[in-house]
Amino acid sequence: MAALCRVRHRWKRTNCIQLLTRNLTGTFDYDLVVIGGGSGGLACSKEAAQLGQKVAVLDYVEPSVKGTKWGIGGTCVNVGCIPKKLMHQAALLGTALKDAQKYGWQIPGPISHDWSTMAEAVQNHVRSLNWGHRVQLQDKEVKYLNVKGSLLDEHTVKGSTRTGKEIMLTAKNIVIATGGRPKYPTHIPGAVEHGITSDDIFWLKESPGKTLVVGASYVALECAGFLTGIGLETTVMVRSIPLRGFDQQMAGLVTDYMEAYGTKFSWRSVPKSVDKLSSGVLQVTWTDEQTGKDQRDTFDSVLWAVGRAPETKTLGLEKVGVKLNKESGKILVAADESTSVPNIYAFGDIGEGRPELTPTAIKAGKLLARRLAGQTNELMNYDNVATTVFTPLEYGCVGLSEEEAESRHGKDSIEVYHAFYKPLEFTVAERDASQCYIKVVCKRGGDQRILGLHFTGPNAGEVTQGFAMGFQCGATLTHLKETVGIHPTCAEELTKVNVSKRSGLDATVTGC
Amino acid sequence: MSHYEEVKVHGYDEFCKAVSERKGNDIFAYFSGDIDTQGLSWCPDCVKAEPIVRGEMSHLPEGSVFFYCQVGERPYWKDPNNEFKKTLKLSGVPTLIRYGTPQKLVEEECFKADLVRMMFTED
Repeated sequence: MAALCRVRHRWKRTNCIQLLTRNLTGTFDYDLVVIGGGSGGLACSKEAAQLGQKVAVLDYVEPSVKGTKWGIGGTCVNVGCIPKKLMHQAALLGTALKDAQKYGWQIPGPISHDWSTMAEAVQNHVRSLNWGHRVQLQDKEVKYLNVKGSLLDEHTVKGSTRTGKEIMLTAKNIVIATGGRPKYPTHIPGAVEHGITSDDIFWLKESPGKTLVVGASYVALECAGFLTGIGLETTVMVRSIPLRGFDQQMAGLVTDYMEAYGTKFSWRSVPKSVDKLSSGVLQVTWTDEQTGKDQRDTFDSVLWAVGRAPETKTLGLEKVGVKLNKESGKILVAADESTSVPNIYAFGDIGEGRPELTPTAIKAGKLLARRLAGQTNELMNYDNVATTVFTPLEYGCVGLSEEEAESRHGKDSIEVYHAFYKPLEFTVAERDASQCYIKVVCKRGGDQRILGLHFTGPNAGEVTQGFAMGFQCGATLTHLKETVGIHPTCAEELTKVNVSKRSGLDATVTGC
Repeated sequence: MSHYEEVKVHGYDEFCKAVSERKGNDIFAYFSGDIDTQGLSWCPDCVKAEPIVRGEMSHLPEGSVFFYCQVGERPYWKDPNNEFKKTLKLSGVPTLIRYGTPQKLVEEECFKADLVRMMFTED
């Protein structure tokens, strides 16, 4: 028996010996090991450490097909929210420069955009965030390991370095927060060899040039949006509908605006193949589903934005018994983020049915850390989460889409108030505001509880955030009408909404 | 024979000139308030941080350059328009940076040996 104990530090050991040593010593290397150093993983590990737990976080970035890789922080920091919003801002500034002349600014000569300047500035900011996280982890005494984690058993994690070295860690609890990566349409010849994804676009040193964005998700539309905004010829190829899962009327307004502002859309189109010509440009062949005919065009870059796949393949989940959703491949989780294995938890993008958002991952991670440290029983509330799509015309929303409200409550039981408004700033700039719109979906009768709130317009994220709090508090149409607007703003139009769709009356806002 | 080169400079112009002469090297720079004849700086945090930073210098990468830069006297530093603040965007002394990267440690962060070591050994 004693001899078996001494064998503890041999890395190749049988389960039997592991069980024996754990029972005898009763301790693990760590209280918590978090696999994944993104929005969720970092929030969870830092919170746990602050509560006195011994924590390790494992983060590893498998390079993209094109070889792009990045530091700690996950998708949001490196290839998502942050670089996206900065490039969106770059594009908005281009539009603002055009408007500026109407406001009296004397701008000599034509305005042009330099990709490299923008990319370097964005990449530098991202690197400063990577560094900030490293300093924070060190400061909060979270052990950070740049290794690819996988599960050996319910208390043992194996970490593999880039050079193939392996280390073992044992933990009382394990949290999986490995997120997802963009999907490649591998069945399309040339797609993998010649195309890029959102993993690559923000790290390109040179302009992507004339770009084809395939997909109609917010990733596709946001990328196409800022590419158009900085002056690149951009086409979006959509198979069926834009922004699936979002309110479709609002999605239509978003794409209408993009079309009016120069983004080309190839509707009902399915790519067939991508070939690289001798000149270096990419020739894309696609089928126009309406005519059944094949079309062809050339692009400098092809960006696939056709969905994201969860990072579960190399985690060793099957062996350990962590159950996945067969269709999505995501980890099945309960309300407390637990998986089918008692001490293994999963949250963030990797969790089945969870929103793929940073703020929910962060909050869920912190609450999970607090529950594991025995500090609270509070569960994450995934309801009433507000979001914004940062397309050239931004779209912010909280609550149900009109379709969802109809389906849940019945068309007769809901009242939809709406208004087309014009941002004051658009007037002098002589800008078209046809798609600036507000929609408040309420329960019909009684206090008219607000079921969903939708806004397209400038700074939609800033506008929606405040209303999201009202929504969380159970705001009704009466509350909204009792709120005095701030003038002159776009947001105030929400407090003034009074024309219902049912009335059939003109919903255009007129004057003060 | 150390595996890095230490370069002592004084003032913004001297710092910039010396850096431009060493392009292509991994450059670290430690900014401190001026040292008096007794070897003490007017900046108490700099006095505290220096031995800690020096204690980690054995971890500097092979072939790197370590700049010890005295920024000037207290009145010069307090002026918000001084070149270090305006152009290099330094917010305080001591500051330890890895030149050309966003990696930096400011003031109390320089008291932490493990953070200093992390900067010297990070990829």
